[in-house]
Amino acid sequence: MSLSDSWDVLVLGLVLGSLYAVIAIGYTLVYGVLQLLNFAHSEVFMAGGFGGVIALTIFEPAVDPSGMQSVVYVLLGIAAGAVLGGVIAFGLEKAAYRPLRRRNAPRLVFLITAIGASFFLYNLAGKLFGRYPIAMPSMYENKTVFTLFGTSVSVTQLLIVGAALVMLVAVDVIVNRTKLGSGIRAVAQDPEVAALMGVDIDKVVSRTFVLGGLLGGVAGFLFGTNLQVEYTMGFLPGITAFAAAVLGGIGNVRGAVLGGLLLGVVEAFTVEIWSDAWRYVGAFAVLVLVLMFRPTGLLGERVGRTA
Amino acid sequence: MDVVRCRHGWARSRGFFLVLNKSIVRLAIPVAAGALLLTACGSDDDGDGGGGTTYKIAFQGPLSGQNVALGENMENGIELAISEANSSGDFDFTIEYLAADDQGAEGQATAAAQSAIDDQDVMAVVGPAFSGPTFVAAPLYGQAGLATVSSSATNPTITEEGFPTFLRAVPNDNAQGGAMARYLAAQDGVDSVMVIDDVTPYGEGLADVAMEELEAAGLQAQRESVPADTVDYGGAARTVTSSGVDALIYAGYYEALAPFATRLAESGFDGIGISGDGSNDDEFINLAGGAAEGWFLTCPCTDASAEDATQDFADRYQEEMGEAPGTYSAESYDVTNMIIQAIADLNGDVNRQSVYEALAGGEYEGLTKTFSFTDTGEFENESIFLYQVEEGVRGYVGNIDELIGG
Repeated sequence: MSLSDSWDVLVLGLVLGSLYAVIAIGYTLVYGVLQLLNFAHSEVFMAGGFGGVIALTIFEPAVDPSGMQSVVYVLLGIAAGAVLGGVIAFGLEKAAYRPLRRRNAPRLVFLITAIGASFFLYNLAGKLFGRYPIAMPSMYENKTVFTLFGTSVSVTQLLIVGAALVMLVAVDVIVNRTKLGSGIRAVAQDPEVAALMGVDIDKVVSRTFVLGGLLGGVAGFLFGTNLQVEYTMGFLPGITAFAAAVLGGIGNVRGAVLGGLLLGVVEAFTVEIWSDAWRYVGAFAVLVLVLMFRPTGLLGERVGRTA
Repeated sequence: MDVVRCRHGWARSRGFFLVLNKSIVRLAIPVAAGALLLTACGSDDDGDGGGGTTYKIAFQGPLSGQNVALGENMENGIELAISEANSSGDFDFTIEYLAADDQGAEGQATAAAQSAIDDQDVMAVVGPAFSGPTFVAAPLYGQAGLATVSSSATNPTITEEGFPTFLRAVPNDNAQGGAMARYLAAQDGVDSVMVIDDVTPYGEGLADVAMEELEAAGLQAQRESVPADTVDYGGAARTVTSSGVDALIYAGYYEALAPFATRLAESGFDGIGISGDGSNDDEFINLAGGAAEGWFLTCPCTDASAEDATQDFADRYQEEMGEAPGTYSAESYDVTNMIIQAIADLNGDVNRQSVYEALAGGEYEGLTKTFSFTDTGEFENESIFLYQVEEGVRGYVGNIDELIGG
């Protein structure tokens, strides 16, 4: 593989990896505050994809939109993905997890509820939107924006990396610099003490879900733009992003980003060197190897307690 | 016999029934059709509309459920053949139609097959329409000694099972792989080809045969596998473009080909793209948009409206059914006529065994292709038809072997 080939592959990997990173944050935030593996997060992601399709179909893009039109459609899609993702995540916490917390249900029950909610949501989507893939309405001509060291970067690739970067920085600021962020960190560290200090745990948990849902929804929209939207689209990216969160150290926001990018890049190089059929073999071999030597993940655990 | 009046009556009653409850319609259509054939047509006086003994031809396929559209395409072709035979006056027997609905599902296949087997007047079955139900129903038909001729079950392994009375009146999936390879080999400037399968039994079987034929034709062939649920086609598109191949064979379904074709177009792939009947669907164009442009698609099914040989059939079909022939309509029409001809050739010595032997050993010149079978019941010819997406429409190109003059 020549140097310019490697650069091409690296770009592919970073694009995919930045999507994984955004989804992984949803897993890691919720794990941080509830020690819950929210497997239904992959369906929040899926909902974001459908949100984009619905909004763009309603506002029916002009044929071959360009310029300002394109910008408006992209923003509309991002907003719709975020809203639907946030709403589903909010509803999920309210309807599925909060009653369990009230009753102090065992961890296992949370996990089974998460899996059940995931099945419920994607089958519901299949029923509502049909069990076949849907193309994201065209928002722009996906041409090359610029060429970087011989690798052409397309509009979609730039959009994905750009949007991911903005969201990752925003989440980092929210968690580390805002009142909600100190709430999240306080609940993650010790919910009882946090409650005694006047933190409204229910509110913090609910907002954490919404924050993760907004990100997951936008990721779903971006993923759907790059591929297509389907009721089962959440499964593989969801599992991979969960693995990315664990790889980076679950509960740790920056770890999730690092894990996501790393998995994306490893996948891309696996595909290049062997083939697409080996994609997950390569990626998950790296996961197992890393966890063997660093069981708490690359950046350990900073936000939550030890798993 | 007043064929026109009879057909209009049938069409009207069908349209009327369509507004009723769906399940009633399912029962009512065959009943109404049968009744019309027997009374309205049969009692007509200006011709001897058949007569003598009555034989039945059954159809096993999806007449309800998710894939009902495909089943109705075929049922219409069969009913057209039967009504034409009965009204032609060429035969000293009458053919009746029996619907055996299997919903295209394995679970319903046993009951459907049994309903055809239990009716002693049934001399042959058209179908099963799908490969899955065929694996279930074919052994039952075998035990009953009832010939079953499928014009659409294309899974290659069916004929390896040794079902005693199963005949396949369509080239199997693998034949498409060979046809694609032969087509590419005949094109100027195609020296290297990449074959990509989607890691399903359908895709792998097709790709294996394509590889063999490409190598036999002396072309450079490379093989790749891209699972249909891959999260990003960027890597696969890179593999294709950076390999510099002149053509790409994609062995898989349109759901996956659509995003793949989009990535390929963006990465500047300008070679020939060709895929099989798994992708031969208008939904491919809806999903891939402009990226579908130029893609070749193959199918064992012909476009009855576009071929000279079937043009006349398409007109009659349109007149009677009120719609253009669909996928496998013409093939089902052919198979039904083949069965009727076999019965006629037996000159009264008609039983299930003799009908099967006549079909298995005979050769029949149909509208769509010539039918004859190997010892395992496999279709002997390899007629594969080519389509191409042009200006957003799936256009019919022709029979591949005729196109390359082979």
